[in-house]
Amino acid sequence: MSKVVGIDLGTTNSLVAYADNGRPVVVRDDSGDALVPSVVSLGEEGTIYVGREAQRRLLTAPSRSVYSVKRFMGRGIEDVEHEAALLPFRVAGDPGGVVRIGIADREFTPPEISAFILRELKYRAEEHFRERGDFDFEVDRAVVTVPAYFNDAQRTATRDAGRLAGLEVLRIINEPTAASLAYGLDKRNRGTIAVYDLGGGTFDISILKVEDGVFQVLSTNGDTHLGGDDIDRLLVEQVLAEIAGPKEQDAATVEAIRRAVIQAKWDLSDIDETEIRIAPSPAARAGFRRPITRVEFEDVIRLLVERTLEPCRQALADAGLQRSDIDEVVLVGGSTRIPLVRRVVEELFGRKPHSELNPDEVVALGAAVQADILVSGRREMLLLDVTPLSLGIETMGGVVSKIILRNSTIPASGREMFTTGVDNQTGVDIHVLQGERELAADCRSLAHLHLGGIPPMPAGLPRIEVRFQIDANGILSVAARELRTGIEQTIEVKPSYGLTDAEVEQMLIESFEHAEADVEARLLIDARNEAESVMHATERVLRRPDFAALAAEQLEAGERERIDAALAELKAVIAGSDRVVIQEKTHALNHATQHLAEVTINRTVREALAGRNVKDV
Amino acid sequence: MLECRNCGAGAPVDEHFCPQCSRILALGRHGDCFTFLGLPRKLLIDPQDLERRFRELSRKFHPDYFYNATSAERLASLERSSYLNDAYRALKNPVSRIEHLLAIEGLPSARSEEGTTKVPPSLLEEVFALNEELDEIRELREASEDSDRLLVRLANARKPIDAKRDEHERQLQELSARWDRLLAVSGVEGEPATAAEKRATLDALRERLLERNYINNLLATIEREVSGLQAHASRRGATVSPNS
Repeated sequence: MSKVVGIDLGTTNSLVAYADNGRPVVVRDDSGDALVPSVVSLGEEGTIYVGREAQRRLLTAPSRSVYSVKRFMGRGIEDVEHEAALLPFRVAGDPGGVVRIGIADREFTPPEISAFILRELKYRAEEHFRERGDFDFEVDRAVVTVPAYFNDAQRTATRDAGRLAGLEVLRIINEPTAASLAYGLDKRNRGTIAVYDLGGGTFDISILKVEDGVFQVLSTNGDTHLGGDDIDRLLVEQVLAEIAGPKEQDAATVEAIRRAVIQAKWDLSDIDETEIRIAPSPAARAGFRRPITRVEFEDVIRLLVERTLEPCRQALADAGLQRSDIDEVVLVGGSTRIPLVRRVVEELFGRKPHSELNPDEVVALGAAVQADILVSGRREMLLLDVTPLSLGIETMGGVVSKIILRNSTIPASGREMFTTGVDNQTGVDIHVLQGERELAADCRSLAHLHLGGIPPMPAGLPRIEVRFQIDANGILSVAARELRTGIEQTIEVKPSYGLTDAEVEQMLIESFEHAEADVEARLLIDARNEAESVMHATERVLRRPDFAALAAEQLEAGERERIDAALAELKAVIAGSDRVVIQEKTHALNHATQHLAEVTINRTVREALAGRNVKDV
Repeated sequence: MLECRNCGAGAPVDEHFCPQCSRILALGRHGDCFTFLGLPRKLLIDPQDLERRFRELSRKFHPDYFYNATSAERLASLERSSYLNDAYRALKNPVSRIEHLLAIEGLPSARSEEGTTKVPPSLLEEVFALNEELDEIRELREASEDSDRLLVRLANARKPIDAKRDEHERQLQELSARWDRLLAVSGVEGEPATAAEKRATLDALRERLLERNYINNLLATIEREVSGLQAHASRRGATVSPNS
């Protein structure tokens, strides 16, 4: 049976976990690291790098590297323009459409970039299962987490990313809820829990009631554009303002500053004072050192941290609870390591928050638990989540009529009746929105629907019932029927900030094409590396001080010439892009040097033994 | 009757699972939240019992547990879960519970627009007094009267409305109890008498709900005046402070 995993697809880091006999385990690499930096970099030869390697390339090839792509999922260019200035990569797209990220001569949508990260996680998990000796180690299904406050477009974009990565997304679950599931495993407790989740790019607050193993979300709130990234940006802007020099900084310098302030931010979670240190570089010749205290740091970020309080109060009010009703507070997300954040949360809820589980790993663990529930049929636990935003349709005068209210338990459904305005009208257009505001212009446009195939009737006579269904993933689907005739209506959905099914299909095809190119590029690099190491080994022997003596004693006639020729031939092709030729010439050189290698090793061994004999005697 | 799409057996409309093959049944046209949750149409219900029923049925219907099932069963699970969530929400809140009862007993909605624009006769006196007071307060505000004093007047104007609202809550409670009593005896005693009485109780409940909506609108109007005055006061405070 193929494997199922839980994936935390984070703004800064991503990780994958699975359930081993019901117990969730995080997949780690050889050095024990579970976090894969959510960074994707496009190599000059077309290779896609993900994770640590891509993160390193942020310094050497910033314009070819993308980070924090989660912030662009399901968004339009007008949403992100203000923050694009400090990013090293190109952000483009048509107004009212999907954001496009430009790297060199290629363009990617955010789901495609996310798919590279998901593919890496899938690969990691498969390697893990293979090394463990599992016969069927393929990972083809996953539960993927999203911020609770993600809207329909952002959720759909995440599901599309899974599809593009060759994963069937069994379920999209909310990060704070996933975290509560991981906590609930250890404690089997009942009561009311507040989960405060401040990650790299997003903030969520969820209030849950836990009883009889049912984790029921009462309310959720948040901000999908508030997190560690914003803290970093405040600090980067401060440093940029202090650095003497041209106001327009190149991407590499900004990236170096970003690294330095992140390090300082981390330091200040443990110590009271540190230094923002930027090493001298071609771009910033002098380098930069600046002491910073925790107090100073807290002054810079205070307003930002306090922006999390209003959503918390709103969530409490929506759940119909006072802060004294909360039994436990759980912290999730790397940014909750900041002492100021902990203080603010403690003050708000009047109790010390939990952080026993690693805040970076707890969400992936919960996703693994949920994946296990889905495939194993285990019924000890059940998640009942809510939809974070009200769903509505635009009516006369641009006013929104709400159909499913926020904090409704999902799955949820709603119905609305429509009719026609003129005789024999056969189609109706419906604008679907998400948000709490009264006017359509202030809400998030989800999609334009076109109902077609209405039987011709006098105006006002058709009774078209449109059913809106939000599934357990928080994703909307729509169906319509004309009640007088019972005729099912056709619905065309044009997502406002998403990809159509046809677009996803097309990307899937392209990604297979590119996947071949990517594999090819990786093989070419491997072949070059192999060739180089054989060349270097050979040259090292040829340069030995005792080579002349060795050759005179042990080499056959013409052997040296054959080696030189093979070496020259390999040198001639190594920079080329024909992997097979490189491999052939490498093989030829290996063959030509086989005898030389043997005699060299023998000689070295003899010398070593001889030396020891001398010493021993 | 419902027909099981798996084995073709017939099932009563309130069943969730086929009595024959125990597969989940597709959701028919189901309009009664009470019976869906296995409850009589009583208005005073134990919230903890309701919650327990909700959790139990969630464990039976939730799509999480139908991941490996046929697509028909997956759809049935989705529809039943959605309906369960809606039903639980409708019954959890006492007011929406009454609204739902009125709907399934065939009374027109108490939420309709006309209900809120026409002044209910029992509120005429209060509404007249309040409107006069509000007009006067608005005039005084235009004339830059001291905000604090106006806020006190608003608080006083609110008192009779609050009292009305409390009285209404009591009446709703009483009528609910009466409905539940009638429901309990209707099966035993003479039908015609209780049927008329039931109808009268429902009509009274509907009246109270309409009035309640109207009262809530009045309270919202007062709230708007209060926050308007407070904003006005703080704006003035802000412009004064730099000079002092």
